[in-house]
Amino acid sequence: MADLGAISLWIALALAAYSTVGSVAGKLRLSPELVESAQSAMYAAGLALMVATLSLVVSFISRDFEIAYVAAHSDLAMANKFTWVAFYAGNEGSLLYIATILSIMSAIAVWRAPEKFKGALPYTTAILMLTLTFFVAVMAVMANPFDKLPFVPLDGDGINPLLTHFGMFFHPPALMAGLIGITVPFAFAIGSLLAGKTGDEWVDAGRVWGMVSWVLLAGGLLLGSWWAYTILGWGGFWFWDPVENAAFMPWLGITAFIHSIMVQKRRGMFRMWNIVLINVAFGLALYGMFMNRGGSVPSVHSFGASQLGWIFLLFLAVGVIVPFAIFVWRYPLLKSVQNLDSMLSREAAFLVNNMLLLAIAFVTLWGTVYPLLSRLTNDEEITVARPFYDQVNGPLMLGLVFLMGVGPLIPWRKAGMASLRRSLLLPVVGGLLTVGILAALGLHKDYALIAFGLATFVTTGILMEWFRGTRSRRRNSEENYVTAFFRLIAANRPRYGGYIVHLSVVMVTLGIVGTSFFGVQRDVVLSPGESTTINDYELAYLGTVEVPKSNRTEFTSTVQVFRDGELLDTIRTKRAFYPSFNMAATTAAIRSTPVEDLYVVPSENLPDGSVGFRILVNPLIWWMWVAGPVMVLGTVIALWPQKIRAPVPARPPRRFAPGSRPSAA
Amino acid sequence: MTVASLAQANGLHAQTPEPPPKGSYSESQAQGIDRMIMCPVCPAETIDQAQVEISFQMRAVVRGMLADGKERDEILDFFVERYGKDILAAPPKTGANLVAWLAPVGGFGAGLVAVFLIIRSMSRQRPALVTVQPVQDAGLIPYLQLVDRHLDLTRGGTSNQPSYSVESRGTDVPEQTEGQTEKEDNG
Repeated sequence: MADLGAISLWIALALAAYSTVGSVAGKLRLSPELVESAQSAMYAAGLALMVATLSLVVSFISRDFEIAYVAAHSDLAMANKFTWVAFYAGNEGSLLYIATILSIMSAIAVWRAPEKFKGALPYTTAILMLTLTFFVAVMAVMANPFDKLPFVPLDGDGINPLLTHFGMFFHPPALMAGLIGITVPFAFAIGSLLAGKTGDEWVDAGRVWGMVSWVLLAGGLLLGSWWAYTILGWGGFWFWDPVENAAFMPWLGITAFIHSIMVQKRRGMFRMWNIVLINVAFGLALYGMFMNRGGSVPSVHSFGASQLGWIFLLFLAVGVIVPFAIFVWRYPLLKSVQNLDSMLSREAAFLVNNMLLLAIAFVTLWGTVYPLLSRLTNDEEITVARPFYDQVNGPLMLGLVFLMGVGPLIPWRKAGMASLRRSLLLPVVGGLLTVGILAALGLHKDYALIAFGLATFVTTGILMEWFRGTRSRRRNSEENYVTAFFRLIAANRPRYGGYIVHLSVVMVTLGIVGTSFFGVQRDVVLSPGESTTINDYELAYLGTVEVPKSNRTEFTSTVQVFRDGELLDTIRTKRAFYPSFNMAATTAAIRSTPVEDLYVVPSENLPDGSVGFRILVNPLIWWMWVAGPVMVLGTVIALWPQKIRAPVPARPPRRFAPGSRPSAA
Repeated sequence: MTVASLAQANGLHAQTPEPPPKGSYSESQAQGIDRMIMCPVCPAETIDQAQVEISFQMRAVVRGMLADGKERDEILDFFVERYGKDILAAPPKTGANLVAWLAPVGGFGAGLVAVFLIIRSMSRQRPALVTVQPVQDAGLIPYLQLVDRHLDLTRGGTSNQPSYSVESRGTDVPEQTEGQTEKEDNG
């Protein structure tokens, strides 16, 4: 299996390299045969990588410890389902995963590329395959997952216990796929520049693949937060770790991109800007992958220092400078079809939104590199961690939430005062009312007040749009409210899918604000039989059961939760100690409700049977985890291809009226 | 007092040992300080998060000092003295490190100015539309908008065609009603 895998890797490398060169040569020499064979080579490279992937999976399942990577990341005790996690637990496997995903995405993207883009497609193929060549070459030469050990160990080192969690099945693969996925819209943008097609031919593919990357990154980030929350045992979910940041920044870039690409799609504007944005996002994605592999900053995520860091840095430099040069070269061709009509227009709102997103990315990048700068210039060691990001990025994010409420409500081109008043009045009143009521109820944290006000503002705006759309649809087509609502959403998926995503962002905001401003945390040591209180909960610790397992000892502690003297729940926390890793993996007991989470995590088991617990009450965090599926749903709706339907004869003149007031988002 | 002796005084193993004289500080105040101090042995974690012995001890020190009536800044200084400035989770807002805090503000300001200039220059290219006098006869507005819309159809090209391509069905829907609603607004 090792040999099969290794050979497939080299075959994939040859095919990807050929496809890169062949595409460009075929295009330049106007040889459609060569272009076609290069494209076939691309599909074949994907197949070869799938064979390699499969070989590694089979090696894991058969615990072929002759393969160094398998020996390092699994052992006989590992359940087979964790093969999926062990696969990308290390540098080598994660590279194979990334390369395979890139090859699959490339194949689908090229195969599904719109007809009008065909002229530029060879360049796009070449860029995709150049990137793939890089990854496969690095893997084959420097980090080969199929390298063999000189002897066959009896057992492997085992999988990192922190990774044996449900969230780990999706968090790393989603993030890695999202990061590498940005290559696709990037390749379409640069491909069309190279071909001199500077119009809007690439926009559809760019938008679709931008959104695919976006949802993968967003989902990956949320799942990572969820994993941290349930297993890392400190009660939080995000701490601006350098590698979290490394995934967060490209997400910001791609968020800006999928918004501003809509402006080009709808209005033929921001052509230059979109190319800049996708370059920025691609650069940030490369940076993220660099940080993950021997980056210069300490992090809980890094795969360990390796020479790979420098290779990635080099690729990052090339990946930023070359596209920029191409952009400058083609600059004169990138002229907008339309002009901006007014400061008060959706186009302008999108620009400000882009600026805010990039500002957050800039702050995050700045915080990541500042320690390095300080070391170089002042010779002073400085840490930039959570308090910095919270203070600087917090207000910017609130600004973003505000724009999220405004953007969809103001029309393209130019907003009349009357229409603005009509669409903003209700949301503004809703927001102010929320602030007023909460303040009257005794809530006096300014930030939180503003955030809740904005959350209501955005939600009201969206609900209002839905309501108006549904109502007019119902009036005009005699559908009932439910049918009208679903048909409304189906009629303009990019827009209403976007609204659903916006709602999920509001939910995430609620979770962040709830826990950051109203979370309560206590650390206590309890002996069996003792109890403690937090807010209006009373917790009684009953005792701990110790169960030795083959590779770990599990301590399960039982805690009863009372409120007003009434037993609410009996919850169990788990702490598993892995001697071979000298590491404990905790699983928090979480009593989750939409109002608040009661979170109990054991941080140490003392010899006398008492347990150190960390207990938190985290208001509203439930919404944050529910937001994940909502976000995915919204994206799927927005991406779902609009089918061609024969016009329905019913009341033709009013057919388009339902709920499309300001116009598509 | 050294870290160790302070820690011992407060019970070494306890997570958040209740300091004997419950001074005038709240637990959330102490946690606020915890979140400003990095754990010296763990990568990128504060002592509030890190579940290692030294962070338990440092948390105990924080509470001990608070119970002794020390201020937040004094406590942070105490740790900076022992571990260096990088024990703080964020750069101090003084001296050269002010740059760390001001650069984002400057960047944001520059961004705002840039966006403003971009919008202005983009809208100036066709001043006629922006500075046009309000139409005298309100009855003309719908027709002018109709003309605008048709101009858009011919100029925009790809996305505004009537429904024969896959994409346009969805996207041209709102364009139709945009005119309608503006009509309503003005009428």
